Amino acid sequence: MSGANGNGRHELRAEDLALAYGPVEVVHDVSLDVPEGEITAIIGANASGKSTLLRGLARLLKPRRGAVYLDGKLIHRMNTREVATRLGLLPQSPVAPDGITVGDLVGRGRYPHQGLLRARTAGDETAVAAALEATRTADLADRRVHDLSGGQRQRAWVAMALAQETDLLLLDEPTTFLDINHQVELLDLLADLNRAGKTIVVVLHDLNLACRYAHRIVAMKAGSVVAEGVPEELIDPGLVRAVFGLDCEVIEDPVSGAPLVVPRGRARPRDRVTAEGVISGERRGRFAT
Amino acid sequence: MALGRSNGALAAGLAALLTCLLFVCALSVAVGSRSIDLSGVIEALTGSGVDSTEQTVVRDVRVPRTLLGLLVGAALGLSGALLQGVTRNPLADPSIMGLSAGAAAFVVLGISFLGITELSGYVWLAFAGTVVAALLVYAVASFGREGATPVKLALAGAAVAAGLWSVTSGIVMTDVDALDQIRFWQLGSLAGRNMPVLEQVAPFLAVGLALALLCGRALNGLALGDHTARALGQRIQLTRLGILAAVTILCGAATAACGPIVFVGLVVPHAARTICGPDYRWILPYSLVLAPAILLAADVLGRVVVAPGELEVGVVLGVLGAPFFIALVRYRSLAEL
Amino acid sequence: MNTYAATLERAPAALRRLRVHRRRRAVLGTALLGAVAFALFVATLTVGTTYVPPLDVIASVFGLSGDPGVNFIVHELRMPTAAAALCVGIALGVGGTLFQQVLRNPLAAPELIGISAGASLTAIAGIVLFAWGGPAISLAALLGAFGGGGLIYALAWRGGVSGYRLILVGIGITEFLLALVAYLVARADIRDAREAMHWLVGSIGQSGTGELLALACALALLVPLALGLGRTLRALELGDDPARAVGVRVEGARLGLLAIAVALVAFATAVAGPIAFVALVAGPIAQRLLGAQGTALAAGLVGASIVLASDLVAAQALPVALPTGVLTGAIGAPYLLWVLATINREGRGG
Repeated sequence: MSGANGNGRHELRAEDLALAYGPVEVVHDVSLDVPEGEITAIIGANASGKSTLLRGLARLLKPRRGAVYLDGKLIHRMNTREVATRLGLLPQSPVAPDGITVGDLVGRGRYPHQGLLRARTAGDETAVAAALEATRTADLADRRVHDLSGGQRQRAWVAMALAQETDLLLLDEPTTFLDINHQVELLDLLADLNRAGKTIVVVLHDLNLACRYAHRIVAMKAGSVVAEGVPEELIDPGLVRAVFGLDCEVIEDPVSGAPLVVPRGRARPRDRVTAEGVISGERRGRFAT
Repeated sequence: MALGRSNGALAAGLAALLTCLLFVCALSVAVGSRSIDLSGVIEALTGSGVDSTEQTVVRDVRVPRTLLGLLVGAALGLSGALLQGVTRNPLADPSIMGLSAGAAAFVVLGISFLGITELSGYVWLAFAGTVVAALLVYAVASFGREGATPVKLALAGAAVAAGLWSVTSGIVMTDVDALDQIRFWQLGSLAGRNMPVLEQVAPFLAVGLALALLCGRALNGLALGDHTARALGQRIQLTRLGILAAVTILCGAATAACGPIVFVGLVVPHAARTICGPDYRWILPYSLVLAPAILLAADVLGRVVVAPGELEVGVVLGVLGAPFFIALVRYRSLAEL
Repeated sequence: MNTYAATLERAPAALRRLRVHRRRRAVLGTALLGAVAFALFVATLTVGTTYVPPLDVIASVFGLSGDPGVNFIVHELRMPTAAAALCVGIALGVGGTLFQQVLRNPLAAPELIGISAGASLTAIAGIVLFAWGGPAISLAALLGAFGGGGLIYALAWRGGVSGYRLILVGIGITEFLLALVAYLVARADIRDAREAMHWLVGSIGQSGTGELLALACALALLVPLALGLGRTLRALELGDDPARAVGVRVEGARLGLLAIAVALVAFATAVAGPIAFVALVAGPIAQRLLGAQGTALAAGLVGASIVLASDLVAAQALPVALPTGVLTGAIGAPYLLWVLATINREGRGG
């Protein structure tokens, strides 16, 4: 097993994976190789199956067909605890028990490393402290999770996943309900973690953030992967229309150099209607020609 | 589940259900330890023919019992529908939310300690008990972050009911006669309630039923959520108060007359909703007709199954209603409660 | 700047201090609860027709008293009741809090979701239909509790068991079973009915040494097991997905913990009947006193205190001796309401 620095090689892949909830099949025949040491973003419209795919990769769902392999072994045959030492997950909208503090919550991430009778070890303490430091929640350690802001709470949950000390980290829509500054903060944290050696798979609903932070993008529609690749090569108006049904222009992000998707709506939003007819929305202020 | 539900179709359905109800009423009058055929029933009702034991049975026992079953069934069905609408909780009914237990407890204490033996007297205690139980249940269920979710309301109702019952029966235990009485009374039964009971409870039930039937449109509004309802111009607090008053009267009077009866108020509105969709202006009349049909059918079953003895309707419904309830929990998506 | 790699080696001194401080609070709190329970235990042995001074009682309990009169009173007359109250309280407290934590609902209590109802049905059937005596009734109650638990689990199983479904099925089954119980009680003759209703309310003094011994053994076995599984329980509390992600076998852990809880409640019910409210309030009260670190042990001690206090009051302080169950309802319920009221006002979720 790799050391805490995350330089071990961990391979996660899906082969012809089909996932279903009851009778309804939500993901069809997906084959995916999660590239090591990179940030992979899964994008798609609502109900495209992206969260389901992530849950399948994280061993939360038994596949109807196909398989998921972790380090070459069938993930469903592996011991639960063993999987938890290699793969960490931040589920969607997690709910913390009443009254729990941040320190407590992060501590529970040590579960796979703790035997039935073993008390807390120095290793546990270090991992928890490191997780708190990395997510900048160390000064929140004795605050109740419920009293925190949305951004702080998400960071606390990420810290819990970090305390597991895994090399693979999967996150299911971690930026939903966060303010824009907290979204960027969280993704910057993920970038930090990735530079320290973690492989990250994240489901994102914001296409532009995905382009900016991810090394690879997996685009899903109606349960299948329609495209996969590097953002610069992958994201163009054709793909966006195919996946989201949205007309757009794609320009270069002046800050990161990644593709930036600019939506085209039906009408120019700031047209005004007057007695003489429609006056088109002018470019105003700093952008006036 | 949107079938093509035109008003015409629903009205026809209601008429069909009414026919069923009449049939069940006829059964209720005819069937029993002494089986009376249709001509005998008609003779008794019209007063023609010889005055015999049969006629006495029909006039003094079966008809009042059937009428009581009609009123009480309607009361329970409607109060269940109202509770489900006002709490937006598919699991609400007077027994699950502990209201019947509250009414029952107060009635028992009234009979044992205050010696109030007339229903017109202790029915007021039943009302008080219903209100106290409702307040307790809401207080207990609001514990914790998410407030009064349906599951917590059900649990709080069970807790309040259990608490009231243990205190009540513990206290009553010192008095053997009272003990003897309440163990029968707790079963929920139409037996032994004749004309006097019917006469005393009918006015209350009539008022409650009328009040309830007027609430259909208001319930539709409430179903959209408080903020939306208010934005649509509804007076929320007034509506809630009115509905709760109706529930108190209906549940209190029904329990005062017959003891606590379970499951009817829960299952009937669900059945009604399956047939007519989420419009309370139809759910209420459907519940009004379906619930007494089920109650009387259960009563008839109780008379038939252990003839010449009798199985109380509360027991029959308790045993038969549970599978329906469990099926509801398992198969309908009451999931995101 | 890469913050993560740089911080991995730092010693978490401040964090350790914080944890030590909170553990100290938990230990102190638990010790205090233990002292309260012990004091009530001694008080139960002290009062009665003959007043025995507390010091003599304590000496006798630890086998240090030479006075045969005192020893007789303490060991033969009063110890069975006191020990029963203590054990029943611990079992109900621990069982109740396990239920609440596994089902993630502070209101989930075994008496509400069918365990007690199952015990009641078999016990009452024993009393009314078969005219069984004490030990047979207790055994019937034990089997009924397990049966009820098993039935509910099976009916709630649908590819797995979720907390809310278990609770709701339990409530439905309870109404079903209690309807049958009410029927049996109504059909019995008046003496059997009286005995049945007495059993249904729950009372400490009604069982023999066999049942008590069984309960004590169950406690000795199951409570340490429950405490040992504390970490798994805390992981389960986070939700099914986070628990799985952290390595818990969720269905298996849930079944195991619930089985332990049902067993504890079953043995307690066999001894004392379905005593209301103890299993419901012990957990929340312990959590209120000790903060979120409240363990099962604290809940057990709270349960013991409630039962001992109720028994004391019921047997000694009232003009007419009432069964314990009436008092637990009367004591437990208002306390629960007070806890709720103050919690809501402070705006904490408890």
